[in-house]
Amino acid sequence: MKRLLNWFRLRNLESDLDRELKYHIERRVSDLILSGLPEPKARRQATLELGGVTQVQEEVRDIWLTRWLRDFAYDLRFSARSFLRSPSFTATAVLSLALGIGATTAIYSLLDQVVRRALPVHEPERLVLIDWKGDQATVNAFGSYNLMSYPICRDLQVQERFFEGVLCRAAMTISLSTGGEHRLAAAEIVSGTYFSVLGVNPALGRLLTVDDDQAPGASPVVVLSYDFWKTQIGSAPDVVGRKVLVNQHPMTVVGVAAPAFRGIDVGEVPALWIPAAMSAQAIPGFNGMLDRRTKWMQMLGRLRPDVTLAQAQAGLQPWFKAMLEEDTRRAGFPRITAERRQRFLASTLEFTPAPQGHSVLRRRLSQPLWVLFAATAVLLGLACLNVAGLFLARGSARDREISTRLALGASRGRIGRQLLADGLLLASAGGSLGVVLAPLTMQALIAFLPRDAAANALQSVIDTRLLLFAFLVSVAAGVLTGFAPAVQAGRGSLISSLRERGGTAFGGLRLRRIIVTAQIAFTLILVIGAALFVRTLAGLMAKGPGFDTSSLISFGIHPLRNGYSPSEATRLVRRIHDEIRASRSTQASAVARIQLLTGGSWNNLMTIQTSQRIITDREVHLNAISPGFFATLGTRIVAGRHFDERDSLPVSEGGQRVAIVNEAFVKRYFGGRNPLGARIDYGTGPDVRPDIEVIGVVANISYRGVREEREQAYFPIGRSEGFYEGANFYVRVHGTSEAGFQSIRTILRNADPALPINYLRTLDEQVSRSLNTERMLAALSGSFGTLALLLSLVGLYGVMSFVVTQRTREIGIRVALGATRFATVWLVLRDALVMIAAGIAIALPCVWALGRLIESQLYDVKSTDPATIAVAALILCTAALGAALIPAHRASAVNPTDALRFE
Amino acid sequence: MSSPRFPIPQGTLDMLILQILSLEPAHGYGIAQRLEQISKSVVQVNQGSLYPALHRLEQKGWLKAEWKQSETGREAKFYCLTLSGRKQLATEKRSWARLTGAVQLIFDEGN
Repeated sequence: MKRLLNWFRLRNLESDLDRELKYHIERRVSDLILSGLPEPKARRQATLELGGVTQVQEEVRDIWLTRWLRDFAYDLRFSARSFLRSPSFTATAVLSLALGIGATTAIYSLLDQVVRRALPVHEPERLVLIDWKGDQATVNAFGSYNLMSYPICRDLQVQERFFEGVLCRAAMTISLSTGGEHRLAAAEIVSGTYFSVLGVNPALGRLLTVDDDQAPGASPVVVLSYDFWKTQIGSAPDVVGRKVLVNQHPMTVVGVAAPAFRGIDVGEVPALWIPAAMSAQAIPGFNGMLDRRTKWMQMLGRLRPDVTLAQAQAGLQPWFKAMLEEDTRRAGFPRITAERRQRFLASTLEFTPAPQGHSVLRRRLSQPLWVLFAATAVLLGLACLNVAGLFLARGSARDREISTRLALGASRGRIGRQLLADGLLLASAGGSLGVVLAPLTMQALIAFLPRDAAANALQSVIDTRLLLFAFLVSVAAGVLTGFAPAVQAGRGSLISSLRERGGTAFGGLRLRRIIVTAQIAFTLILVIGAALFVRTLAGLMAKGPGFDTSSLISFGIHPLRNGYSPSEATRLVRRIHDEIRASRSTQASAVARIQLLTGGSWNNLMTIQTSQRIITDREVHLNAISPGFFATLGTRIVAGRHFDERDSLPVSEGGQRVAIVNEAFVKRYFGGRNPLGARIDYGTGPDVRPDIEVIGVVANISYRGVREEREQAYFPIGRSEGFYEGANFYVRVHGTSEAGFQSIRTILRNADPALPINYLRTLDEQVSRSLNTERMLAALSGSFGTLALLLSLVGLYGVMSFVVTQRTREIGIRVALGATRFATVWLVLRDALVMIAAGIAIALPCVWALGRLIESQLYDVKSTDPATIAVAALILCTAALGAALIPAHRASAVNPTDALRFE
Repeated sequence: MSSPRFPIPQGTLDMLILQILSLEPAHGYGIAQRLEQISKSVVQVNQGSLYPALHRLEQKGWLKAEWKQSETGREAKFYCLTLSGRKQLATEKRSWARLTGAVQLIFDEGN
């Protein structure tokens, strides 16, 4: 270590030693003169006694650095000097490496955070996700994926033979007040076992225990996350014991969780944890905690150390079968068809390893991120190839230098070390620049992700392991290609290579051709990928959500979270809606139960009764809307009519049950026949009596996302709706959206200043948010494709220039013998064309193989789309030929007399 | 030249330097003079190996150096023992004593 330090202060050490030895000699000389020797003789004797100043210096230097290290330092210095002499070579090489390393590291760091990182809990590798495979005979469901009911979690907790413990949790948004105004906060509703199963410690106070999760409503306590405590409560040490309002219900803070622990979902970092026993308070209108037919929670178990996942899964099946049997005999078990009962009884429990917890964000992003990571890996490969090509070019230029050194007696190893120094120096320069680039790239990346999920959850922290890996790869590339000239140099006889005058005898041309061919293949893969993603994004943007988004604003409120009763909430929504309609800036407005274009939906299987009874073969997406919804969105009613005010009345007051379906629904289930008058209903059981009349057909619009066109059915929003899921307003405004926002804010403030607004944004923004992933893929793959193209063009240009220089004499002779300009250009271009064609030929099968991996990310275009591939290949060909044309042109301008004068 | 002197045993030079510096800080020439006195009587020390040895000991952290005015008024690099140097000297002395003791024992047995 000290030796490495010495490296950096060599100059000081040298001058120090110099002074020290000088002093010694001077003293010795003056002593010797005193004893009677004449000065010149004294000086000689003093030096002689010391054994020569230079020898001593050498010996001391060997102590400062080991011999090898010392010589290597000189090599590095020599490399640096020679790099600085050719700045364009150095800049190109360093920049390609920096881009390759930076991009790969940035993407991988994000991938690692979202997809791969284990939870910061005790032995995360023993955690498994417990999922129900089969039919749960569910009556009620909400949440994302892998949902189960709360009582099952309690059942599993006592299966101590396999589990140390089982936890269940649900992510929820709540209205939270810590003294001031009400704000929306992410919460995790958890079983009492949550913290003990994960093995998380408190930073302050205590965490939730099983005692906090007994009788419903009996334990109004919460645990805060460390981040929330720090940023929102100012790290107040006396926070334990304080009261906070959760949806207007007072609850006591009992503790703060450990700093590193941020819940089990990377995409949704909770501000606080609430025991499941308080779920009725945390989720307005919910009382299904103890209901076995309500699925809403994800379940994780911690396996015993001596139990494997397979053992636990197999071992629990008998118990599970018995429980299913028992379930069917329980009071309140729904009446279901025999066939469905079979499916229920055939259900199994399925375990999957869950050291990373459970995350919706991961499910959505892991594939796009892996795709991007693969692209950056290709890019890094390309950068390395580029550096290799540049090194070879430089190596052939240095061939004479190396031959000379070999001839002067330098060992192969000595020259190899020099080249090693070259590679190392270049890679470290590229690597350090990459380190600077990576966090910037990552910030840009995170900006592509949905803001609410990414804002507090993901950090632009660089993964050092990968940085090291990318760095080593580039060093290896630099070193390997650095060695090539050394190997080549020794092959031919020294004499012939020294005798060579202008050009070089270096035969690295074939290697360089191979490198350029590989570069072109890699580039084509990236360019095709980019073209596919850009087409996907363009296709989705052109398609749009199926309605006019201009001057359309939406916002959402959730009064039940602020202490409103359902009937009060209905009155509030009605009042706000009346005021919005009365506002001068409003053209049209409507209310919907479920927000559009968020990725989520309310859905159910439906029964359709016409002359025969049909059950839909997949979930129909449902929404409840106010009259005027389609008029506000500007969606065409294709047949029948829209809802009117009468439709919202309860049946008892003269209303009737009606529905509007979309064209996709008609196409799939009516085969184009007239659906008006048909009767439908939710659910599939024999007890379902379809009595909802289809009164209209509406054009298709996007619901979950722009991509999808599913069957939809709409119902009128009832007068006693209650707005358990909140209310979502759609307002088309006159004038600017900014003015619209203003007037909406005023109306909401006047209605209830304490009520938080869930969101308030234009539909354009909503659409663009829903296309985040596609935009990320298009933008990044596009820039990777461009970079790749640039890199390979530089490579091709370099090789062709080299070829032309080498063949100057030959070309001169040809011209002298009467070859036309065209013939000389063709001579060079033909060479380039062979490489381009070979590159394309290699790339196409790869595209075909890789295409399947990205198929699910594409829209309206196949991964093997001939047009896209042709265009990409054409772009590549044109650009590559352009790059080759410059040296070709130079060749055609060769003057035969000049060329031959070299002889 | 004067009467034959046997060359200094391998590794002993370091110990001698430490011993000299344990009395008082000195510069390279001073140590050389001191060694010269020793070597006149008993052993032969090659002056050329003095400076590498000094730098080696400094590298190991047993010596510390600073530039100070010397007795002639010019600046010279003075070396002095560090704490770990002092410990090292003690250790070397002990092991030297044990070695010579052991050798002596073997000789005595032979008698």
